[in-house]
Amino acid sequence: MTQDTVLVVGAGPSGLTAAANVTAAGYKAVMVEKEDTLGGAPILSGYAKLVPSGEWAKDAIGRMVKRVEDDASVTIHKGAKVTKLDGDAGNFTATLSNGESVAAGAVVLATGFTHFDSINKPEWGFGTFEDVLTTTQMEQMVAAGKIACPSDGRVPERVCILLCVGSRDRQIGREWCSKICCTVSANLAMEIKELSPETDVFIYYMDIRTYGLYEDKFYWKSQEEFKTKFVKARIAEVTASGDGRLLVKGEDTLVKRPIVIPFDIVVHAIGMDPNADNPEISQVFGVGLEKHGFIERAEHYTNTCGTTRRGIYSCGAAYGPETIDDSIAQGAAAAGRAVGDLHALVQKAS
Amino acid sequence: MAIHEKSLIEDERLLEHDSLVVDGVDVSGHWNTMITPRTIKDYDDDFEAKIQSYVGGENVHRCWQCGSCTNSCTMYAQNVQFNPRYWIYLTRLGLTDELIKDKDIIWQCVSCNKCTNICPKDVKPEGVMKALSHWMEEEGITEKSPSRIFDEEFADQIYAHGRIEDSKVLKNFFKKTGQPLVQGWLVEFSKRMMKGLPIAHGMRMGLNLVFTPKTKSWGKTGEVLQAYVREQKEAAHG
Ligand SMILES: Cc1cc2nc3c(=O)[nH]c(=O)nc-3n(C[C@H](O)[C@H](O)[C@H](O)COP(=O)(O)OP(=O)(O)OC[C@H]3O[C@@H](n4cnc5c(N)ncnc54)[C@H](O)[C@@H]3O)c2cc1C
Ligand code: SF4
Ligand code: SF4
Ligand code: SF4
Repeated sequence: MTQDTVLVVGAGPSGLTAAANVTAAGYKAVMVEKEDTLGGAPILSGYAKLVPSGEWAKDAIGRMVKRVEDDASVTIHKGAKVTKLDGDAGNFTATLSNGESVAAGAVVLATGFTHFDSINKPEWGFGTFEDVLTTTQMEQMVAAGKIACPSDGRVPERVCILLCVGSRDRQIGREWCSKICCTVSANLAMEIKELSPETDVFIYYMDIRTYGLYEDKFYWKSQEEFKTKFVKARIAEVTASGDGRLLVKGEDTLVKRPIVIPFDIVVHAIGMDPNADNPEISQVFGVGLEKHGFIERAEHYTNTCGTTRRGIYSCGAAYGPETIDDSIAQGAAAAGRAVGDLHALVQKAS
Repeated sequence: MAIHEKSLIEDERLLEHDSLVVDGVDVSGHWNTMITPRTIKDYDDDFEAKIQSYVGGENVHRCWQCGSCTNSCTMYAQNVQFNPRYWIYLTRLGLTDELIKDKDIIWQCVSCNKCTNICPKDVKPEGVMKALSHWMEEEGITEKSPSRIFDEEFADQIYAHGRIEDSKVLKNFFKKTGQPLVQGWLVEFSKRMMKGLPIAHGMRMGLNLVFTPKTKSWGKTGEVLQAYVREQKEAAHG
């Protein structure tokens, strides 16, 4: 009996939600996660406190993991991928890399995104200077509870965060906004200040996109209560100052003058790339990708959780840069649609 | 408001009374300096499209003012008044008066294209600099550049005769750019050229300089050509 089972690929916020919703509707879920740990990006990359709840990622996402692990109707395959998918909607058979096979009536692709690799923007010093970090590394530092320069352990006088690293850049073919990094950066600035009050934090921006309710809670609060300084400049280059610090060069567009400012730590607010596996996923599952390389939606308004192949659904950051909250909402929606379609198939057959 | 950074302000906006007493206090001279406000009263809505009609200006509308071009710019490193990002902003809004204030430096772009390589929106700022320079030349805001004078002389001879006469192009170019007609390098160049040249050929060159011959049956071709070039320009720049 395959029509009572939904295969969920990827165990990040969206996949964990999809699985929980599938079983809540009385169906069975099989999860296939390529890493050995469940939880997706927030767990795998060790995020600190989440936007907007302020809860530690390991607690918040940890609860989502536990809910699924404790659920007898969920079967979990870790460290595995789907290598082959046969059959059609209502009757798929997936072959896994661990040799097992799974029969399922529907598939939810919750395969998420890949962090932008800052090495692709060499002028901003990542990989060259020890004190140039990514937001994920900085989140890990915050989670570890101590703000210090990786090079020599000193407490930084000044930290700057460069926004839109690997997003919104035609030069490297990334023509999208990663949606969450402005808010994450404003939040990170507050976390840094909280742990290290003597550190001043600067954010270099082109636009600030703390949309909706993130505006006052993160942007304003960071500026007003935590004294984060926002400078409208896209940084051209990060170099060494010669005395162990870093020099950040750019044009302050509001005062129309060049800037060369010393910093102790430079943080790249890295964006969300399409999952590097997407070409493979597209082939194995026979689904199309949209022009940026994310998974293509079936029909925007009436089949929001669909892909270009019937019986295969998607959700979360697999469709494009997405927040955890929206990934969760989409995971629930995809599960609902998948079991709804399965139910309709069974009705038709009987 | 008394202000001291006068060098940053255009002369015509500085007001100063030589002698002035207010409420019994002597505030003569710089103590009473006032500046008139710099209110922008309108936008030239068609200007962006105009610059886009020049080769190189096509992508100007894409700019989001990040400043990467300016920061990477070779000329900005020499002179912070050379600011492609700022001029692109002025272009987009049609603030032509402000642009014209920088007419003496915009053309200094050396076409190194560092800006083009760094721009995240693929605006091609170098092309915009070129487009702005051409616009200023065409509007007579800046003087014609020597290369443009040369091109025009060249084209005029084609229109008139269907061909050019090297020595005549050079002579007229020197005249129009206010250079001496006899220049050391040219004399030396001619001497060496004459050495290996058959006498008859040399004489014909001399003659051609005076009575410029036309291409056979050129007739009205030049006028037609000229009209066509004019039409094309008008179609492009409106
Ligand atoms: C620096 C940073 C900080 C962020 N902070 C926040 C925040 O505070 N609040 C917020 O709302 N959002 C935040 N986000 C966004 C958040 O990471 C995403 O919204 C969320 O991770 C998306 O969840 P997802 O389940 O769709 O994808 P993912 O979290 O990417 O999960 C996908 C899962 O699928 C697995 N997978 C991938 N390919 C395969 C395959 N072929 N086979 C099997 N398994 C596969 C992956 O290993 C992973 O476990 C942040 C993003 C970044 C970059
Ligand atoms: S959310 Fe902000 S930092 Fe992230 S890509 Fe968009 S504008 Fe840039
Ligand atoms: S091409 Fe011109 S505007 Fe661009 S960086 Fe070089 S000098 Fe500056
Ligand atoms: S680099 Fe490009 S987008 Fe940025 S200010 Fe210059 S022209 Fe505009």
